[in-house]
Amino acid sequence: MAAEKVKENAKLNYFFIKLFVVLTHIVLLLNVYLNGVYDDAAAVIILSAFVIASDVIYFMILGTFTQDTYTVDYLLVLIANISLIFQSCFGGVQFNLKHFITLTAGMISCHAGYLFTRNSFKAEKFRPYCYAGIGVLMIVILLFAGSRSMWINIGSFSVQPSEFMKPLLVMICASSLQSQQTKKKYWIIRTAPNNIGMVLISVLIIAFQWWCRDLGSIPTFAAVTGCALINRLCYPKAAFSKRKIGALAAGAVALAVLAVKFAPGYVKDRLYVDIWADQYGNGYQQCRALIAMAEGGWLGKGPGAGRLSNVAAYDTDIVFSSVSEEWGLLAAILFVILIVLMLATSLINTPKCYYHGTIAVGVTAVFVVQMSLNIFGSCNMIPFTGVTLPFLSNGGTSIVTSGFLIGMLKASQSPVFVRNIVEVEPGTERGDQS
Amino acid sequence: MRSIRRNMRLITAMLTLFMAGMAALSFKIYSESSFYMSNSDSVSLGKVYDRNGDVLFDQNADPDTYGYDHFTDVANFIGNDSGQMTNTLVSENIQYLSNYSFSAGLRNENGNSSIVTTLDHAANQRVYDAFGDKNGTAIAYNYLTGEILVCVSRPGLNPFGGYNDLEDGSLLCKAFYKFTPGSTQKILTTAAACETMGSELLDSKRYKCEGAFVNRSGKEIFCHFLSGHGEQNIREAFANSCNPFYAQLVEDGDFVMNNVMKVFRDMGYSVNGSKAISLEINGISAETASTVLSDKGDFSTEWGFIGQGETMISPCMLMVWQSAIAAGKGCSVLPYVISSTTDVVGNVTEMKSAGSTKQLFSPETAAYVRELMVSNGTRYSDSIPGYSLGLKSGTAQVKNGEEENSFLTGFNTDTDKPIAFCVLIENKDEWGITTDSIVSALLDAL
Repeated sequence: MAAEKVKENAKLNYFFIKLFVVLTHIVLLLNVYLNGVYDDAAAVIILSAFVIASDVIYFMILGTFTQDTYTVDYLLVLIANISLIFQSCFGGVQFNLKHFITLTAGMISCHAGYLFTRNSFKAEKFRPYCYAGIGVLMIVILLFAGSRSMWINIGSFSVQPSEFMKPLLVMICASSLQSQQTKKKYWIIRTAPNNIGMVLISVLIIAFQWWCRDLGSIPTFAAVTGCALINRLCYPKAAFSKRKIGALAAGAVALAVLAVKFAPGYVKDRLYVDIWADQYGNGYQQCRALIAMAEGGWLGKGPGAGRLSNVAAYDTDIVFSSVSEEWGLLAAILFVILIVLMLATSLINTPKCYYHGTIAVGVTAVFVVQMSLNIFGSCNMIPFTGVTLPFLSNGGTSIVTSGFLIGMLKASQSPVFVRNIVEVEPGTERGDQS
Repeated sequence: MRSIRRNMRLITAMLTLFMAGMAALSFKIYSESSFYMSNSDSVSLGKVYDRNGDVLFDQNADPDTYGYDHFTDVANFIGNDSGQMTNTLVSENIQYLSNYSFSAGLRNENGNSSIVTTLDHAANQRVYDAFGDKNGTAIAYNYLTGEILVCVSRPGLNPFGGYNDLEDGSLLCKAFYKFTPGSTQKILTTAAACETMGSELLDSKRYKCEGAFVNRSGKEIFCHFLSGHGEQNIREAFANSCNPFYAQLVEDGDFVMNNVMKVFRDMGYSVNGSKAISLEINGISAETASTVLSDKGDFSTEWGFIGQGETMISPCMLMVWQSAIAAGKGCSVLPYVISSTTDVVGNVTEMKSAGSTKQLFSPETAAYVRELMVSNGTRYSDSIPGYSLGLKSGTAQVKNGEEENSFLTGFNTDTDKPIAFCVLIENKDEWGITTDSIVSALLDAL
């Protein structure tokens, strides 16, 4: 069956998808050339050369991989180079080499994530190392990030090690059916051992984030853990238990209320700020972001014509507004829809095993929460937290982490079912499991 | 597998929720974009015109094009986008002037946004000049349609002159702010008495004026005619603007305070802190009327009914009441100033009056007061020739009696020229410009 599928893929050769990806990029580049703001057309030519060349190179590399499906890969190529075009235009067209490099790193990271998790048996055995990895990251942050900060500066680069905790937590939260069936009694709770570990490490991460004053990441970790808890609390019943989900939701609300009550002063200021009354204080970025989006309208002011690039975090925390200003709200929404489609591929190429199913849920939770916090926060629908928008925001750590997570998603769609393998080569005979 | 299906349902739920959020975001940005743009400095504004196409506001105006004093008469009513003035036509309607829409984007060079007002600029200029060197305000509207025709406030503002060393009050249109009304209050006191007592009983009341009246609490209420008006009925007292008559009317047992206070509230007053009628003219908030009333024999309360004490009324509100009286309906047509707007792509939207107020008093009361005012108006046939007017003047003592503000409010009975108006001259002296001459100029100009 798998062999037939591979054959079918080869026959299709993804020609039309490749054509769609390249044509989309060409249309965007034509828009840059015709409507963009630039001093020298060479900037557009360099950008176009990198985009088209990298498209072709990615396609060639993808051709060497053997997977059940390549949909996620092609969508990622599409998204990555759209992101490169957007980032290269903010405030004037100029090829953004740094973003190109980080996106390339993201693509590599994606394949690493795939290789790391495509074999569920192997990946689940790696769980203790995930706990250890999180511990190491915390120690690294404590030692090198300075007082209550999340950033480590290496030369001109800044790394946010806490970002790497996200895929590790997703892996900890992922679980096979088998490991759920081995339950033990802990005080009054009878549950699987890894459930206890998962809850404890999640609490530890959230407490650590709170201490480090990186409150923006907490909802992401909480969502991953929350989804895993919903899955596990309802297991083994097929249907969701409304009572258990209700209790979990009530607990989450109670914790959120407590968090708001005991939040640091600067966080409370952001929660309750009337941005229009405080346009040059706490509401500055959101006000500028909303004005920029309004100025952009549906179709935008034109690539490079934006003024939001004069505002801090224009290419990270309020990047959605920067894209809306220059390319229009429609383009910004379409970009987000592409990410949603990439996540939704799990619904079509459904995971073949429970472990990969929980991986897909965790990855979706990370992306949905991050996108929500970034987009809705910058547009003043929820408090502004300053998290990145996956693949669009400028930032190496974020893109590499997002790439790794998408690799995990890809693994759930092109899994390998071989027990106790030492090394998995491309073209290895696949097992099948229904 | 069922367990995997559960995972898929979780993913579906998360993605659906997120997309619902994106839809809400799109709607929010689309519907609020005009507000966001009001905080942007990159959008140009269209012009504001009077009813004849004369420009009242131009963001890029220069004295060579328009003349140095072109905007002075209406500048503090029309306002601008500088942020120096609030509660003006431009500041409250900037979304209509913005050469922008979310769908069309920024169109600073070829945008069509504009506002056409009901004002008659030539008439405003004539009325403004009629004030001479006096400060004050004049407002007039069509009491059948609600179109504001004249609205000037002195000292005016010359937008070409900058904002330094401005005279007090230059930045606001005084027609929309409350003043002590003087004897113009007697229009409303008469209306309230008629509404509560009935016209026959009110007509039967006769009180003697000996130049002053000692009220129940032993304090004297003086008449402006110190030798006294003698015994009068309400019609004579209204024409004579006799303070002792009205003080005695208030103390009369048939003048039931609770009933009168209810009528005052119905007429739109804030009585003892109650909610006043809301008067908003295309986004511009106009103050209305307020008073503090307690016992019949209370000195301040009696003065409140005469137009001093704690009673305060805006010229705009006085004008609006004239509509209820002039048309004889007991309810007023609400004023408006924007007759049409054109959006950035050229779509024209006609604007109309916001309708009428609720019933302020009965049509019978309106007819009764109308008769009194028209009768009183005949006394002005020399100073305001050529019109059949209903009028009531008022003189309010302000700044502890150091200054007097002079009011004249009323309406033209001729429905071919259905104008209701209120004119106020601040710190009026015994000679020089009079409210009569300003009303005359106003009616002639329209």
